[in-house]
Amino acid sequence: MVSKMNKYHISLVMAVGLWLSSCREVLEPRPIDILADQFVLNQASDVATVRLGAYAAFRGTAAPKVIVGDFTADYIQHNGTFTDYQELGNKQITSANGVAGALWGGVFNTIYVCNFLLEKLPTVPGVREAERKTVTAEARFLRGMANFIGATTFGGIPNVTSTDIDANKIVSKASKETIMESVLADFQAALTDLPDGSPTDGRPVFAGYATKNAARAALARFYLYQKNWVQAEASATTLINSTAYELVNYSDVVSEDFNNESIFEVGYTASDDPGTSAFGLNNLLVGRREVIPSNQFITQIISRDAGEREATVDFDFNEQGGGDNGWSVRKYGTPDEDNNNIVIFRLGEMYLIRAEARAQQGRITGATGALSDLNVLRTRAGKNTAATADKPTLLTTATQAEALLLVERERLYELAFEGHRWYDLVRTGRAQVVMSAFSPNWTSKYELWPIPQTEIQRNPSLVGQQNPGY
Amino acid sequence: MALYLQQTSNPSENSYISKYFYMNHLLRKSLLIVFCLFLLGAGVFAQNRTVTGKVTSATDGQPMPGVNVTLKGAPSGANTDADGSYRISIPAGKVTLVFSFIGMLSQEVNVNNRTTINVELAENPTQLNEVVVTGYNSTQKKDILGSITSISAAKFKDIPIAGFDQALQGQAAGVQVTQSSGTPGGGVAVRIRGNTSISASNRPLFVVDGIPVMDESVSGRSFGGQNDNTLTFVNPNDIESIQVLKDASAKAIYGSRAANGVVLITTKRGKANSRTTITLDAQRGVVDIIKKVDLLNSSELLQLQREAVINAGQDPDQRGLISGVTDGVNTDWLDAILRRGIYQQYQISATGGNDKTRFYLSGGLRDEEGVQLNNRFTRYSGALNVDHKASQKLTISTNMSLGFTTNDRVKGDNFLDGVYSGAIKSLPFFAPYNEQGKLYTPGSPNYAGFPNFNPVAQALLPRFRTYGTKILAGVSGQYEIIKNLKLNSKLSLDYNNSEEDQYESSATAIGGFLPAIGGQGYGVYITNTLFTILNSNTLTYLFDLGGKHHFNTMLGTEILQTKNRSSFASGRIFPSDDFTYINSSGVQDAAGSGFAQNGLISGFGEVRYDYMEKYLFTFTSRYDGSSRFGPNRRFGYFPSLSLGWRVSEEPWMKSLEFIQDLKLRGSYGYTGNERIGNFTYLGTWAASTYSGATGVSPNNLNNPLLQWERTREANVGLDVSLWSGRLSVIMEAYDNVTDNLLFNQPLPLTTGFGGFQGNIGSISNRGLELTISTVNIDRSANQGLRWNTDFNISHNQNKVLELVDDQPLFRGYTANGVSATNVILPGQPLGTFWGLKFQGVDVATGDALYEDFNKDGKISPDDAQVIGNAQPLLVGGLTNRVTWGNFDLSVFLQFMYGNKILNFSNVTLLDNGANLENNQVRAALRRWQKPGDVTDVPRYELGNTYNNFHSSRFLEDGSYLRLKNVAVGYNFPSRWLNKVKVRTARLYASAINLWTLTAYSGADPEVSTLDGSTSAQGIDFFTLPQTRNITVGLTIGF
Repeated sequence: MVSKMNKYHISLVMAVGLWLSSCREVLEPRPIDILADQFVLNQASDVATVRLGAYAAFRGTAAPKVIVGDFTADYIQHNGTFTDYQELGNKQITSANGVAGALWGGVFNTIYVCNFLLEKLPTVPGVREAERKTVTAEARFLRGMANFIGATTFGGIPNVTSTDIDANKIVSKASKETIMESVLADFQAALTDLPDGSPTDGRPVFAGYATKNAARAALARFYLYQKNWVQAEASATTLINSTAYELVNYSDVVSEDFNNESIFEVGYTASDDPGTSAFGLNNLLVGRREVIPSNQFITQIISRDAGEREATVDFDFNEQGGGDNGWSVRKYGTPDEDNNNIVIFRLGEMYLIRAEARAQQGRITGATGALSDLNVLRTRAGKNTAATADKPTLLTTATQAEALLLVERERLYELAFEGHRWYDLVRTGRAQVVMSAFSPNWTSKYELWPIPQTEIQRNPSLVGQQNPGY
Repeated sequence: MALYLQQTSNPSENSYISKYFYMNHLLRKSLLIVFCLFLLGAGVFAQNRTVTGKVTSATDGQPMPGVNVTLKGAPSGANTDADGSYRISIPAGKVTLVFSFIGMLSQEVNVNNRTTINVELAENPTQLNEVVVTGYNSTQKKDILGSITSISAAKFKDIPIAGFDQALQGQAAGVQVTQSSGTPGGGVAVRIRGNTSISASNRPLFVVDGIPVMDESVSGRSFGGQNDNTLTFVNPNDIESIQVLKDASAKAIYGSRAANGVVLITTKRGKANSRTTITLDAQRGVVDIIKKVDLLNSSELLQLQREAVINAGQDPDQRGLISGVTDGVNTDWLDAILRRGIYQQYQISATGGNDKTRFYLSGGLRDEEGVQLNNRFTRYSGALNVDHKASQKLTISTNMSLGFTTNDRVKGDNFLDGVYSGAIKSLPFFAPYNEQGKLYTPGSPNYAGFPNFNPVAQALLPRFRTYGTKILAGVSGQYEIIKNLKLNSKLSLDYNNSEEDQYESSATAIGGFLPAIGGQGYGVYITNTLFTILNSNTLTYLFDLGGKHHFNTMLGTEILQTKNRSSFASGRIFPSDDFTYINSSGVQDAAGSGFAQNGLISGFGEVRYDYMEKYLFTFTSRYDGSSRFGPNRRFGYFPSLSLGWRVSEEPWMKSLEFIQDLKLRGSYGYTGNERIGNFTYLGTWAASTYSGATGVSPNNLNNPLLQWERTREANVGLDVSLWSGRLSVIMEAYDNVTDNLLFNQPLPLTTGFGGFQGNIGSISNRGLELTISTVNIDRSANQGLRWNTDFNISHNQNKVLELVDDQPLFRGYTANGVSATNVILPGQPLGTFWGLKFQGVDVATGDALYEDFNKDGKISPDDAQVIGNAQPLLVGGLTNRVTWGNFDLSVFLQFMYGNKILNFSNVTLLDNGANLENNQVRAALRRWQKPGDVTDVPRYELGNTYNNFHSSRFLEDGSYLRLKNVAVGYNFPSRWLNKVKVRTARLYASAINLWTLTAYSGADPEVSTLDGSTSAQGIDFFTLPQTRNITVGLTIGF
């Protein structure tokens, strides 16, 4: 009996022991598809992964920026079912519009990861100095890009310079000028430390990541927006003179990623293509056709002067009917096609920046005049057109005011659906004239996007800071 | 890869319990032992003669073992053996024998001079002695202090329900059950005493034979709103009873998972010493949609569209809207995709047992064609439950339930390429088939294309087959260490698996029309396995002190681990539609696999005490540790205390003989909710890709203080049973407050994050419940009429008390002109609708008038306000049952009152000309047309969204009264059956959703497009209405 009791006790103790030992496994499972904070960026080999995270974050701003740039303006009409695009098509944009939230969120998400890199990089042990310098420059470039997009879209935005959550949740709005100053500082610092890169690295590396040339392109656009014509022209000229880029067939601009014209573009592959997710441009423009090109845009893009740039759109008889004109935008392909990236800077834009800067400085004709830059693009747009009568006409003379309108027109031909139109109309002061003619609902309040309603609700410092009219 | 109509506004919810019969049996045994102890202490009586006899059940004539046979006025007695026989010595003289047994009416018999007395015991209609499973223990109904509603299998045996969650509808006060749609095998929302949580799940904990079961969708792919439902993998016909645990006293033993209530399901088990019974059951019926939405025909729609175009200053002829041409085709798309489905169900079961071994065995087939073409749900099920008494001290048991389902699904609701959703929107100008009877598909000149495609093709062409497997299994042993001290140990498994085998041909929207996804066929294969392993151990001890103090105590431990493995792959570019598996696809560029697990470790205990069955006391508590919370807050403690007073046991009440039971009870305690995702307490980074390289991106903000949601529950109840159970009434009132809400606390995006998982805010649920059961007429003793009525009604008031701030949190869908359809706001209940306030139509201009809520002179999203909520004021059910001779009839009415439904379909179907892509409902015909028109439908103007802004115009009264079920049955008389060696035979017919009274203008008020959603419940968004099922069945027992 005693021995039986002992046996009983021993097995009981064993059972309890076994039971308790399994507790740890049950209560503290290890995450397997996510990484706890303490393991992020604490050794040299982590730098590369977080750097990619910064690019991935910046890529999140690209599609919303195209939507803001082109859908707010006169290029599109609504053709689908989503409320956000209905608001954009009808020019009844509200602060609840999802695009506002997506762009705002993308901007600050990028800024967060860049700030994280900038704060932590100096303390990560074992990082080679060259890599530290390069990645720091990339972080500043991407942060500058994000702030630039934010300030040109929303006007003044909060100036976020740290990863301090408690500070950043009550951060107040800084003026657009303040943001632009920090953008300039970031771009200039980036220009110093970014690598030169080389086409021999392969275009996906050369144009997929920030280089000195990308910083120059960013500065060219920055100066253009800031109406610093001299600097804008100078920066654009550096790129135009670079042997690393060439103007390719326009059809390749439409249908090829990482072509030889590309200075910086954000990359997708078939496996991370946005597909049908909220801001998949192919889905919006081709699959669902949430928006389609407006009739007046079609008239211009298929005109003779647009030339081969007509490839921006195509027509399908089966789609035509009712209010649908049958046209679709072709610049963003499916995962199977080679054009699912989103271009940020390409050589064509540099000619346009320089043309505008020159026109603004009163240099219209001649080798260093605006028209000569426009003609470069027009020549390219007729390169593969057999009949001379079908090639875009080359410009010979214009007044300054005419030249500026020609630049505006050329930007339509050249940069349509790359996210420029609304920004261009706003910065040139043409928005009211052009857009009022296009839509009866247009008012001058639409020259700034609304700060997302939820931001104002969540951040006490933004209460009462909504842009006028919303 | 999905094709949504509208965007959603946020990307975002044991061990062992003994079986009823098993414990019933045990309890009998323990009571017997208690009784024997008394016997030892009793004096010796003069005994000089013997009476023998047999006790049988009046219900089924089976012998009853374990019946107490005592002399009236004396503790002395005997009990029946396995054959129901007894032998008792009695003194000379006038003697009365008392036959008593739990759950049966005691009988007193004067012996006189007889030596053989056979007795039939009838069931106690008051059911006071009914044994009720209370979690890890069981007790008699009269001793229960918590709020528990029992639903016996008899209440749903004739109703062709797919899952037992449907059986709860209208049967229990405080339980609100809504079928999300008429999709077979689809989701059912069960809410017990309201909603307690914003972010975590609001579903109750379902426990089948002691195993907490997975209760939601296990499949991976969205179908637009309607999910599948793993509870339909369990055959309701294998269920013996369902207990709904509603208050802290009843639930706290389930601790951190109990806040939303607990539903205990007990499956059927064999009875000891009963002959083997084989039962065959066959049901067959038809399924139809209950109502069709009234849509316009071609000419009506064309006229309307022309008017909209003209109002926009354009020429309708230029748009191709030409009378006699455009409306040359008039397709009723709903007729084209709907059908009458055939429903059938067959089951065979066997049950029996001797004194050592008992068993229940069953196999079943259920096959239901949905009302939508190509939609079908088939289930094969099996169950085996065995109990074996290895020795006087050791009993071993096993239970096993298997379900295999095949679900041919169709897309719906928020999917443009859905079947019902596509059909209801499609323009009647298009047709499904060409003159040769071939489907119009992408590329055909008359294909409607985006946004509505060809709904008939969308039904017929894709293969969306989901194979489901559910295994519920457990082995347990019970060992009686010393008298009344029992150790129970149980190991259980709940295994759920789904495999989704899908192909969308190149003639479908996804597979062909949208090159961004399929292009040339699109195949998907998804597997998902989710299983829980559980070990629980309990010690129970029943004892008395001095005969008046009764104790029922229990201590237990439990360890539970849930694992989830999943994978998916998709392929595109198939050589032709003859190849439908990914092997044949040209491109396979999306695939994934994953693994996740979580666990729970617990200790729990319970003390039930009563003094002379008069003053009752229960203390229950549980200590839970969960892997889902931060190290600092991993463990939680959930106690409850309840007190009861059986007033009817007081001596001064004894004179009031018509009162069988009068009990006052109250409980107070805490329960929790841990049902959120894993690792949300941890700051994490996740893998991200960029241009073919892989890095990491911020994923989640750290919160080491993340902890349980805690619900403080207080309940008072009054149980009354009068006139031998002819009238029984239960009244309850409760006041619950949930705090530390698990909540994704929003952050301004300037932080880089949208929010983090925190514990902020509180929600209150207060309610009243009333249950009345009456036996109105009872002449059943001589085959006469018996009519009884069960009625329950409950009111719950849900309110968000506190949130992180007063800012609205938007939920539901994005909507025109306002942030979203739903909002969470302090002071309002969950399920609150948000929008502009519609003030009618301007008689002069025909434009909608909205309230300028912030008085800034313009209509903007800032003018949106609370416009109603989806929470009903009252829900309930009324069941009348009549039996007369061999006939029986039951009529079950179910109702909901005071809730609002958002008819979100009408944003498209009554869109005031916002676009011309969709058909319109008949209400469009009363639109404003000219100055002076007084109407509630604004004018139609193409492209004008102002009149279509999301407003209270789309909110409707969702109250309804529904004849949920009528069932009639006939039991063939045994004298006919004996000739064909059949013991019982029953023929019955049943109808579900026969009639509905409602003011709702849509097809059905009982819908919820966001299946399972709490904050956005009660939205009708092209949701398939409920179906009317008419079934005939035959049950034969051998």
